[in-house]
Amino acid sequence: MISRRALELATAILTGGFGVAVVVQSLDNGIGWSSAGVDAGTFPFLTGIIIVAGSLYNLARGVVPAATLASVPIAITSIELRRLAGLFVPAAIFVAAIPLLGMYLASAAYVFAVLAIPRHQSLVRSVVTAAATALALYVVFERMFQVSLPHGALAAALGF
Amino acid sequence: MDNLSELFHGFTIAVTVPHLALMAVGVLLGILVGVLPGLGAPNGVSLLLPLTFGMQPVSAIILLSSMYWGALFGGSVTSILFNIPGEPSSVATTFDGYPMARDGRPTTALATAFGSAAFGALVGVILITFLASWVAQVALAFGPAEYFAVYFLAFASFVGMGGAAPVKTVVALAIGFAIAAIGIDTVSGSVRLTMGVDELVKGVNFVVAVMGLFGIGELLVAVEEEFHARAVSSKIEWREVFRTVGRLPRHSVALLRSAAIGCWMGITPGGPTAASFMSYGIARRFSRRGRYFGTGEVEGIISPETADHAAGTSALLPMLSLGIPGSATAAVMMGGLMIWGLNPGPMLFVDQKDFVWGLIASMYVGNIVAVALVLLTVPVFAALMRIPFVIIAPLIVIICVVGAYSVSNSYLDVVMMLGFGIVGYLFKKLFYPLAPLVLAIVIGDKAEDAFRQSMLMSRGSLGIFFANKLVTCLVVAGIALLLLPLVLQLARVWRKPASPNVETQSQEKVVI
Repeated sequence: MISRRALELATAILTGGFGVAVVVQSLDNGIGWSSAGVDAGTFPFLTGIIIVAGSLYNLARGVVPAATLASVPIAITSIELRRLAGLFVPAAIFVAAIPLLGMYLASAAYVFAVLAIPRHQSLVRSVVTAAATALALYVVFERMFQVSLPHGALAAALGF
Repeated sequence: MDNLSELFHGFTIAVTVPHLALMAVGVLLGILVGVLPGLGAPNGVSLLLPLTFGMQPVSAIILLSSMYWGALFGGSVTSILFNIPGEPSSVATTFDGYPMARDGRPTTALATAFGSAAFGALVGVILITFLASWVAQVALAFGPAEYFAVYFLAFASFVGMGGAAPVKTVVALAIGFAIAAIGIDTVSGSVRLTMGVDELVKGVNFVVAVMGLFGIGELLVAVEEEFHARAVSSKIEWREVFRTVGRLPRHSVALLRSAAIGCWMGITPGGPTAASFMSYGIARRFSRRGRYFGTGEVEGIISPETADHAAGTSALLPMLSLGIPGSATAAVMMGGLMIWGLNPGPMLFVDQKDFVWGLIASMYVGNIVAVALVLLTVPVFAALMRIPFVIIAPLIVIICVVGAYSVSNSYLDVVMMLGFGIVGYLFKKLFYPLAPLVLAIVIGDKAEDAFRQSMLMSRGSLGIFFANKLVTCLVVAGIALLLLPLVLQLARVWRKPASPNVETQSQEKVVI
């Protein structure tokens, strides 16, 4: 279970961290005024400061429970968290597998895995859906629009 | 009337067989992404974007804008038949649309929605026809300072009127600006904000951000609640359709009021979602049958639908004539314009007359095509909703991955897209608005350039933003909008010390 407050705090820290990174990085480009006009780092520097300031405000709002926060104490229940993970974890593994397996194999394996492992569909139907997905991708992108999707290290090693 | 003759010229471009075919394809694809809960108009349009590179700009924009109309209509279909809004902007349609359909009048509900939506779109297009070229003419005299002031006004109106918590809007906007700054600086040529990743020199493409924020993010929000598509009958009785549309003029007050709200929210970047909620709220307060709202009232469908489409259509006005998109989808389309080598803004009306008037004429025709197609295909798309979500979800993930990859054949983009997905989920969950974030990514560079050019002209003095009446008005209006939430907050504290914060809660639902 994740409370609304924890989620607010985490997001404020995330945006604030990004803001700090922007501020630090923009200092490399120089801020202020030079012979060429406004320096390249000035605009990002200002946006970074705004992000940090806004995130600090949101952080403070998250710490001090306002009326709105109190009325929705729980943002994500454990069941919802499990559903989220059920979607996101396989998707992340799929993305991680693309450099090795290539887009076609990885997407077929991904579709097969999410359909067959939790037994949402029968084995045969999962195989058919997975194969159809990869085939559709190949026909639409590689053939019709001539966009080459990554074939993967495995295919390269096998000489494709 | 100069505009009318231009418009007729536009019709000769738009009403050709290939363009009508493109409209039909665009509308059908649009209804598809509108119906599917994880896909919306912004990422539908960005998915299609790479496929338009080989086309004439006119054909490309007709395809993309038709997809937009289709998506606006498609979102209402699922709202009414399944109580599942396919688009954020059709959430308000579920309040009265679903109860009416459940009570055995699905055809009436759908026909009311489509009829009033078409009316809203028509008002929006008429507004564009007569106002856009005039606005563009005024804007031709703009210098960098005026441009920056207009950008500033656009961003300030998000903060003042967007409906989300103001500080969250500011954070979302500033993050968008920072992301837009990543890569090579167009003025000095130096590399900025790459965070040590060399590949980031190419910058972050807005399509990658849209795929993650709207695609993966929305999917994660959708998967939280399990869908039970308890469909009501999706059969269309044609006689009832015509009877319902015939009854619409009786609600002309509601129609006109909602269209006005929609146009206003579309031109100022409030967006269709805020417009539909606002229109519904106002209708409930002013309608004589206001207390029956929520049980299947006709005006409860008319108000959000008219405003939604009026806003969606008129959001293209500032995009065309000023180069400032009024909604997230318009921002994506504007990104497309820049990729096709067009420069969105007043010069379009001088250099690219065929493009502008072809598009405007296609908006008239495209909405008619959309109404006809959506009525014909309701049963088909309703059947689509019965495919289990577990099958649709991985397919949408794959579509987003491929879409992000094909922008510039980069694996890093895919990883970033997934990261944007998490951000999109968090932002949606916590009511940070996404539209300003996308808008800032698309036009952040232009706003920055305008600022730096004006600084060069004035040798570093901010006085240039108060140098003449026009620019002063724009800047002051922008500052006023920025301060508006603060003033409202203070007024509330003044009037009622320690009142419960009900207002904020009802507003939170409005966020895109």
